[in-house]
Parts: sequence; C-alpha cells; structure tokens
Amino acid sequence: MTSKKVILTGSFGVGKTSLFNQFIYARFSDRYLTTIGVKVNKKVVKVGDREISLLLWDIAGEVTQDKVPTSYFLGASGIVYVFDLTRPLTYKNIETDINYLKDLLPGGIIKIVGNKKDLVSEEQIEAVKNSLSVPVNITTSAKTGENVSDLFQELGTDLIG
Amino acid sequence: MTRINKPLDDDLLMRKLKNVLLKEDREQLMQLKEVLDDPNQLSEKVNPLIEQRLDFLKKNFPKEYRLVVNQIVEERLRGFQDEVLNIMYPVLGKMIRKYITHQFQLMKDRIDTTVRSTFSIEALKRKLKSVFLGVNESDLVMSQIDGPVIEEIYVIQRNSGLLLGSASLNNTIDQDVIAGMLTAIKSFVEDAFQRESEDLERIQYGSYKIFIQNYHSYYIAVVMSGSLSAKESDALSTRLSNFTDKELTQISNIDNEAIQHISSKLNEYFVQPQRNN
Repeated sequence: MTSKKVILTGSFGVGKTSLFNQFIYARFSDRYLTTIGVKVNKKVVKVGDREISLLLWDIAGEVTQDKVPTSYFLGASGIVYVFDLTRPLTYKNIETDINYLKDLLPGGIIKIVGNKKDLVSEEQIEAVKNSLSVPVNITTSAKTGENVSDLFQELGTDLIG
Repeated sequence: MTRINKPLDDDLLMRKLKNVLLKEDREQLMQLKEVLDDPNQLSEKVNPLIEQRLDFLKKNFPKEYRLVVNQIVEERLRGFQDEVLNIMYPVLGKMIRKYITHQFQLMKDRIDTTVRSTFSIEALKRKLKSVFLGVNESDLVMSQIDGPVIEEIYVIQRNSGLLLGSASLNNTIDQDVIAGMLTAIKSFVEDAFQRESEDLERIQYGSYKIFIQNYHSYYIAVVMSGSLSAKESDALSTRLSNFTDKELTQISNIDNEAIQHISSKLNEYFVQPQRNN
C-alpha cells in the first residue's frame, strides 16, 4: 500500500483539527483547543481497487504560512489549506499563502477548503468564493461532516493518479 | 346596675376557673422554663439524648448515609477533577519515587547477597572483570540485570517521516503514526535550534529511551527500555551501521517489497535475537 504525507494548514481556529478528527474518528467537539506543534495520524482511503494510506500532519495554525516551520512540509505529497468561511481574516492572505505553498511544494497537490459551511448560507458561500483570486476546491463542515470524506477521497484520487 | 356588673362577674369567675383548672399545667410550664433557662439542668436532660444519637450515628453512619456521601464525593470529584489531580500529582510522584527507591534498595541488597555467596565460574569471571576494569562488582551484576531491551526499531524517511521498515517486540502501537510523530518532533527541535549540521539523537520518556542514528535520506530510531551505558550505546551504533551497510545501501527504490524486506531484516538483526535469549 502506498503511503503519502499530507499537511493540514491554514490560520488558527479555522477547523483543521476538527476536519482531522471528523475524518479520522468521525467525531466533532465544540470545545476549541489550539493545536500545539503538530499532531500526526493516518487513515487508509480506498480509490477504486487501490488503497492509499494518508499520513495527515495537523499543524498548529498561523496567520500567514511563512510562519510555519518549513521542515514540516518536507517530503509532503499534498497540502490541505483550510480557511473559515465566516472569518474574512482567515482568507485575506490566501493568494500569498497559496503561492508560498506552491513554491515550497512544486508539483504537489494543494486543496483549498472553505470550512464551517454549516454557519453560512449558499449565497454567502458563493460571495466568498467570488471574492477570492484562487479557486476553492471544496466547502466543508467539520461539525456536520458534510463533504469531509469527499475532500480526502478527492485528495487520495489525485495523489494516486 | 345588674346588667352592667354581670360581665365583670363573669370575667372574675372565668379567671378563677382558669386558675383552678390550669394550676397544674402552669406549674409544669414553670418547671420546664426553669429547666430551659438553666444550662446545667438543660444539659442534664438533653446530653444523654445527644449521646445516644451520636452513638447510633457512630455505629450506623456508613449504613445510613453511605449512598448520600458517595454521591456527594463522586459529584465533587467529577466537578473538580483537574484540581484534585493537581493536588494528587505531587503526592503520587513522591509515593512512586519512594516506592522505586525502596525497590532499588531491595534489589541492591539481593545483588550484594548473591555476590557474597556465589562461588560459581560465572561469579569468578565477574570478580576478575571487576578487578581488571576497576568497576564495582555490584554494578556489573546490576548492568546484567537491567540490560537494554530493544522494544521497537524503525527506519524512517528523513523528510517525510514515512516508515520504510519496522520491527517490534510487542506490536502494540501504530508504527506509521509513531514514525510521523518522531519526525515531527525531530523537525521541531532541529528547526527551533537552527543548527543545520546537528541532529536530534536521543529522546527519553520515563524508562524508555529513543536512540536515533541519522543518515542522509533516512534515520533509524530504536525504542529501548532498561539502562543503556555509553559502551552499549556505542555497540548499538556499530550494529546499526553494519545493518545499514549490509541491508540498506543496496536498496535504490522504495516500494512495498523494499519495505517488507527492511522490516524482515530489522526483525532478524535486532528483535529475534532477543526472543531467543
């Protein structure tokens, strides 16, 4: 089975750990506990008749990506960049952040994810997407679990392909 | 006149009647008042009853109030779990330290007894070694008793933290996750101190030590229990280098087959010999 390192990154409080917990353990907690350093876990995703083991690195949130230790990104095959659909501050620097990550991981797969979709309407989601200069790959809700497994399924498919 | 005096007569009569009828009650009331007003008399009357009740409670408290007290204690403990832990932690630490010190003393005593009373060839060898090396014989016995045990061994890709092979004495933990976390810790420490040419080489957690040997594109992490002397540490380093030269340098492509090969060789070199001993 192939193993791939995937980094979950983005500003603090956007729900990276909640996405991680929802994907790995299918659970959600309303309590906010900031991540210290990194937490690593894995989950096997089935893509067609193949399996891929995703080693997920849930990194402590930083306002801008250049503050995250670069060594965490070494050897990664994919990055999940998460922002909070309800907090414009978390996607204010999105273009700079994505360009920075593309430089760090040339040829790597980057998924841009708008989280907390349960707190906003479809119109608000569209408005946020239209205001951004980078395409949003998927919008999720770590709370309800909506689109969470789809996100990692898509990522697994891209990593195998 | 008659009409006016009649109620007065009635009142007088009524009072007299009351005096006659209630005389006894009033006397009793006065006696009671005297008892109540005088602490000595009151104690004399009430103390036996209180003592009786206290005796009853002493004998029956656990039975009568056990459920209520248990419920209160459980609720308090649940509500103040963190505070209770904070209070208990240093106490537990002291108790554990005391226990360990005591156990060490017992072990040392046993070893001393063994050293004094044994005349076997093994003991003679140990005595000679002790004389030549200038090491206390008890320390030699101790090092034999508390020797290092390899619990887990991993070959990990240096940057990604992906597992390239592993072997375990007990197979209790998810080795992929451990490999990832070890790499994260290494990255964090090496990043924090910003010494490009230096690597993290040891991690200690309780009685476990993680010995790390770094190579260009991978590193080997050995999780050990027991004590590891400087000499044993050097010997382990040499064993790891020999293993690397013989088994890892020939692998050019890391695929599932290579990972299985590395794992099997790690088991053969490091874990299986311990099982055989």
